[in-house]
Amino acid sequence: MTLINQLPAVLLCATCLAVFPVAISAADAPTSAPAAVPTVAPPSPAAVVNMINNCFSCHGTDGRSPGAIPSLTGMKAEQALLVLKEFKSGARSGFVMTRLTKGYTDAELEALANYIANNLK
Amino acid sequence: MSQITRRDFLRIAGAASATGMLGTSMARAAEISKGAARVVVVGGGFGGATCAKYLRRLNHGIAVTLVESSAKFITCPFSNLVLGGLRTMDSITHSFDTLKKKHGINVMHDTVTSIDAAGKKVKLKSGKTLSYDRLVVSPGIDFKYDAIEGYSAKAAEVMPHAWKAGPQTVLLQKKLKAMKNGGTFLIVAPPNPFRCPPGPYERASMIAHYFKEHKPKSKIIILDFKDNFSKEGLFKDGWAKLYPGMIEFVPGAKGGKAVVVDVKNMIVDTELAKHKGDVVNVIPPQTAGKIALASGLTDDTGWCPVDPKSFESKLHPGIHVIGDSSIAGALPKSGFAASSEAKMCAAAIVAALKGDTPAENSFVNTCYSLVGPNYGISVAGVYRNTDKGITEVQGAGGVSPKDAPDSFREQEAKFTVGWYQSITSDIWG
Repeated sequence: MTLINQLPAVLLCATCLAVFPVAISAADAPTSAPAAVPTVAPPSPAAVVNMINNCFSCHGTDGRSPGAIPSLTGMKAEQALLVLKEFKSGARSGFVMTRLTKGYTDAELEALANYIANNLK
Repeated sequence: MSQITRRDFLRIAGAASATGMLGTSMARAAEISKGAARVVVVGGGFGGATCAKYLRRLNHGIAVTLVESSAKFITCPFSNLVLGGLRTMDSITHSFDTLKKKHGINVMHDTVTSIDAAGKKVKLKSGKTLSYDRLVVSPGIDFKYDAIEGYSAKAAEVMPHAWKAGPQTVLLQKKLKAMKNGGTFLIVAPPNPFRCPPGPYERASMIAHYFKEHKPKSKIIILDFKDNFSKEGLFKDGWAKLYPGMIEFVPGAKGGKAVVVDVKNMIVDTELAKHKGDVVNVIPPQTAGKIALASGLTDDTGWCPVDPKSFESKLHPGIHVIGDSSIAGALPKSGFAASSEAKMCAAAIVAALKGDTPAENSFVNTCYSLVGPNYGISVAGVYRNTDKGITEVQGAGGVSPKDAPDSFREQEAKFTVGWYQSITSDIWG
């Protein structure tokens, strides 16, 4: 064990933050969010990863669906959020998504929409 | 300090920077002796294979070994479609090649014979021993054969359970094909809790579809331990529409509980009557998988109590139990739920190996059933950890709407097929 070994450790911490762009955007979001959205704390980056990983069971790993269920790739955050919120409110008709979106807060849907836009290409 | 490698130090330091508690993190991280953290996963099904893949996705530095006895995995989901003539066995069989080659998982086709929880080792049938930092046990279910008098592993050769997909599925199909038009097919449906709550009723539907096409004078009788079942209203509406008069459901309170089976005369004796079948499918009461029972991971219920945040066993620290074997609160024993549990378990293990506490988890269950080839129904739910364990989020989830137009059922039938393609590629692809 030498002191040199401690240097990369600092770099590692920086990369820890870099792999979670969602956290940053989600944390920044309240300023631009509509007033109607309840002020619920946004989920942690790791909690968002947990949530989106569940989505992959139907929508394919990294949102790339191999079959009849739509992929999650190629969406902008606003677009993804609109779809999710419309499923939740019932404004958009759907199948299991109208039932599943009701299980998430608006802040969570926003974090998921940001994740979709930033990470699922 | 000489035991800690440079890589370990990076991991520990990284964890410490996140928690700001170097001392505590180092103490926790000390569970990893040297080199890469080693996780052994027992069982290559919906729970185990997902966990192995997602461990590697979340942290490529973890050495993951997956122990699965079969060279290829045959899924229970869609095995009812094989019985209905809509699918081949080949199409529900999945190889482990991608997990090996693309995801760098060490897949061993072997059987775990014992677990040494204190020594953190598993013994394999081949004689090998594997050491682990964390163990994941995902062995599915086993059968309580002695719960029905006259039933046994041997009797299952005459009255198949077909509740583990594979040769049993093929055997049941063979018997159905050999049955005369006008014959009676009996299904003995198990008491709660059991693997795949809508499964027996999807099976009745798929076999009704096969009968309608090939043996239209035949009958199906479901002798059930329970009085109600999953998606009951939707199934019954579908049966009335597609197979009028063909399927009879006998609830437990009205003589549905099987007490004795007579394999020689093909009779199922319930509390109230004797039923004779030309083909009999006995789905027996169930318990956690054999290795979970043998390793002291089960409680008096025959299932495995776990911490809902990490799926770590409440009985043996360092061992996580996921899938059908675990007691997962309100989550059903479904392949989808097993996969969701596996993803949350993988994240919790990655955190624990770094000395972190696991992030907040959430679970999803989405299960489709085919009533007919163009008639699909679904149930979905979101589940969270609360002070009452894992509970379903109220106001969300639920089943497909009643009295939906044919186009809705048709679209859900398409989604059923899409669901299978997606989930199996997410797990084994």
